[in-house]
Amino acid sequence: MSELDFPWLVSPDLRENVTGGPAGSRASSTSQRKSSSLVLPLVPYFMFVGLFLAVPTVVLFTKAFRPVTGSTTSAMMEAMNESNRSSFVFSLKLSAISAVIGAVLGFVFALATSRIERPRRLRNLVTGFSGVAANLGGIPLAFAFIASLGAQGLFTRILFHNGIDLYGMGFKIYDFWGIVVVYLYFQIPLMLLVMMPAIEGLRPTWREAATNMGASRWQYWRRVGLPILSPSLMGGTLLLFANAFSAYATAYALSSGGSRLVPVQIRFYLQGNTITGKGNLGYALAAWMVLILLFVMSGYLILRHRAERWRKA
Amino acid sequence: MSQLEFAHVTKRYGNLEALSAFSLSVNKGELISILGPSGCGKTTALRVAAGFESCDEGRLIMNGHIISPVPPHKRNMGMVFQSYSLFPHLTVTENIGFGLEVRKMPKKKRDETVANMLDLVRLVDVGHRYPHQLSGGQQQRVALARALAIEPTVLLLDEPLSALDAKVRIEVRDEIRSLQKRTGTTTLFVTHDQEEALSISDRVCVMDKGVIQQVGTPRDVYENPSTNFVATFIGETNTVELNGAEVFVRPEHTRVVFDAEPNSYRGIVRSTAFTGPTQTVIVELSVDGRLVRATSTNMVTDNWVPGQEVGIVFDHVLRHTNSPA
Amino acid sequence: MKRSTPTWEWLVIGVISAFFIVPMLAMSRFALQRVPMSLLGRSTLFKRWNIKGIINTISDDKFRPAFLMSARLGLLTVVVVLALLLPTVLWLHLRAMKWKMAAEVVSLLAYVVPPIALVVGVSGAYRNTFPWLVSSEYGLVPLYAILCLPFAYRTLDAGVGSLDLHTLVNASRSLGASWTYTFRKILVPNLLSAILTTAFLAFAVVMGEFAIASLLLKRTLPTYMVEAQGREPQGAMAVALLLLVLTTVLFMLIGRIQKRLPNSTSQEIRVSP
Repeated sequence: MSELDFPWLVSPDLRENVTGGPAGSRASSTSQRKSSSLVLPLVPYFMFVGLFLAVPTVVLFTKAFRPVTGSTTSAMMEAMNESNRSSFVFSLKLSAISAVIGAVLGFVFALATSRIERPRRLRNLVTGFSGVAANLGGIPLAFAFIASLGAQGLFTRILFHNGIDLYGMGFKIYDFWGIVVVYLYFQIPLMLLVMMPAIEGLRPTWREAATNMGASRWQYWRRVGLPILSPSLMGGTLLLFANAFSAYATAYALSSGGSRLVPVQIRFYLQGNTITGKGNLGYALAAWMVLILLFVMSGYLILRHRAERWRKA
Repeated sequence: MSQLEFAHVTKRYGNLEALSAFSLSVNKGELISILGPSGCGKTTALRVAAGFESCDEGRLIMNGHIISPVPPHKRNMGMVFQSYSLFPHLTVTENIGFGLEVRKMPKKKRDETVANMLDLVRLVDVGHRYPHQLSGGQQQRVALARALAIEPTVLLLDEPLSALDAKVRIEVRDEIRSLQKRTGTTTLFVTHDQEEALSISDRVCVMDKGVIQQVGTPRDVYENPSTNFVATFIGETNTVELNGAEVFVRPEHTRVVFDAEPNSYRGIVRSTAFTGPTQTVIVELSVDGRLVRATSTNMVTDNWVPGQEVGIVFDHVLRHTNSPA
Repeated sequence: MKRSTPTWEWLVIGVISAFFIVPMLAMSRFALQRVPMSLLGRSTLFKRWNIKGIINTISDDKFRPAFLMSARLGLLTVVVVLALLLPTVLWLHLRAMKWKMAAEVVSLLAYVVPPIALVVGVSGAYRNTFPWLVSSEYGLVPLYAILCLPFAYRTLDAGVGSLDLHTLVNASRSLGASWTYTFRKILVPNLLSAILTTAFLAFAVVMGEFAIASLLLKRTLPTYMVEAQGREPQGAMAVALLLLVLTTVLFMLIGRIQKRLPNSTSQEIRVSP
């Protein structure tokens, strides 16, 4: 009896597994494994991404390395000179701070939600809303904040009636900290979405084993809980950073304040490129964004793999 | 002398009594198994001992002190779980040393103890590896080493072999027993596998529905079951009617003979099976149609054939079903 | 070991929930009460609540086409994403495990190229060779599909991974079923949870996507909302609020449905890229 007797029999690729591979997997597909027929069905997927992501990115980079009209250096270098660097610094600062604050609050939120058992609908509500808030895009969220903390916002008004003049004190929703607060609206839910599976992946036996060997609650968290969660925590923070850094809609909707952020700057340069001749600068800024995000997302991927390997142990 | 004592411990979940007035005294240095089907309360008893569950009624006493209110991390009991007990982010060495580090043992002594433990479970070269790099059997041995490293007063084992392959199970089982004897650690071993329990225990505690059915040596429990449950749960049993009363008889005390022998009950062979060390014959009794199993060592060369008319002799009655528990 | 009263948990949830609920309350007030902010005070708090603003917006002749366009784009994107990923992920798990890492990395590339960079690149690359992509509304669909790849891949990958795929396929095939029959009757029903989650998430993303649509000067719901904010702010606010509430209800529905479907890991809706 060989594979020929059962032509429909699909055997998995042999996977090295310490506890023993799946029963019945034969290595008869060795030659097949290397052949191109394996990749063929994957071509549509890779081609799709190639066409609509890779090619545009390559084009972007070629344009980014061209010089800005009226100068000799490539736009990439120009984008990083003294005057242009400020918007990057602003974006990076904003992304980093909203990522860290969002990560901490999101983690605590996830922790609290995972421990509540009643009412049972609560968890569903929290994760459902988080799914929306993290994925629906910035416009509704920006509107929500303008309605509450904008110059004519409800909350601003309530505070005013109670003697606190927010805007008189120099707070603006378009200010750095105002934007951070708005960004938290989607950062916190995103962190919750990332951390919930990780927290639920903490096996109760680990907690019990630690307790059994004498660890108090605090010692458990310090030596077992948090270390095991740390790849997810760090990965989540990186994800939040990338998310904030690329955010366009919210920045746009907050107009004057958002205009200091890189994505909006890019638009500014590209829209007026015939006039200012600085189109290539816009490309360069976008290219720099891609490089930064590439760096961040690689870190994220590595951390995520580490987290998952432990969860399976 | 009693090292750990459950005194009338009752544990309820809503209306369900997982443990009913559970009273058991565990002697120093003994390995006692708590054996029973799923849901019988054996794991609950273990968790009460560990401190992960509280007693609704009754007390837990260790070395003369009442420890029911003592939190789990202060009880100095080592526990081995069914699976996933090792910390994935620590190496084998760090895992085993965890309890010692919590107790603030100085590094040098810690390293020494860990090395001894690794030696004890015969895993000397794997100290630097991570749990996911080990096989199931190896992981459980490390878990055992980890629990023993803290020199626990009582060792608690919660079905540690259930997740392992059959062959590995026997190896690890024997290792647990030999380690336990060497270190003299008082051990509570929970399992649903009666062969496991019988083979390594000093005493066995059989449970059903939260109630202790019998406590005794493996032999006691097998040869003199005090309740019908114990008789049928442990080993195999034939239920037959002899002299007007319903009794239990073990297959090894059931003999197939030629039809004409005196004092035999008539029957017809239904099927036979050869299992290596033994052979089994299933016979349908003519008197009431009940099926009985007869096992014998394969030294007996009689070849019974399905459909053959035979006689059945019962050499020893285990227990009357109507006898008081 | 568990404390019986989870006090700090409720406190945290309460505070953070307030952070989310308060702005939405402000939105409702803005959308539903025709009292300008400057006049709002204790005496006027309960006056003039009506849905006039919402009616105005819905009857605005620019609203309907924008809404319908977004809905259409959403549906098309869902189809494209599922058609592209479902066979791919199944194939990866069945035969081509070696390529899993590559496929996964590729799925995350959308996170590396932010929408603005993507638009710029697409425009530059295809403006002359493939102008339809840039000019037509439906040209947004492939870009939206790319945007959905990270979470769609993860969700479907997790869903397929939770099945005993080889056993199911071998059992079905040994009983005489063809590949398509197996796909239809065995695989899809068992993957329904993951498929639905992907679909709903993708739909939500498209309904809220602003950057690409705006940069390519298309008229979708989000671009409409921004534009309407100047003309009819109440209405725009109402639409935004409705979008938020309805999508939340939608997601909660998925959560409920997930529990009833076979083979659903409770992690699906929480799977983020």
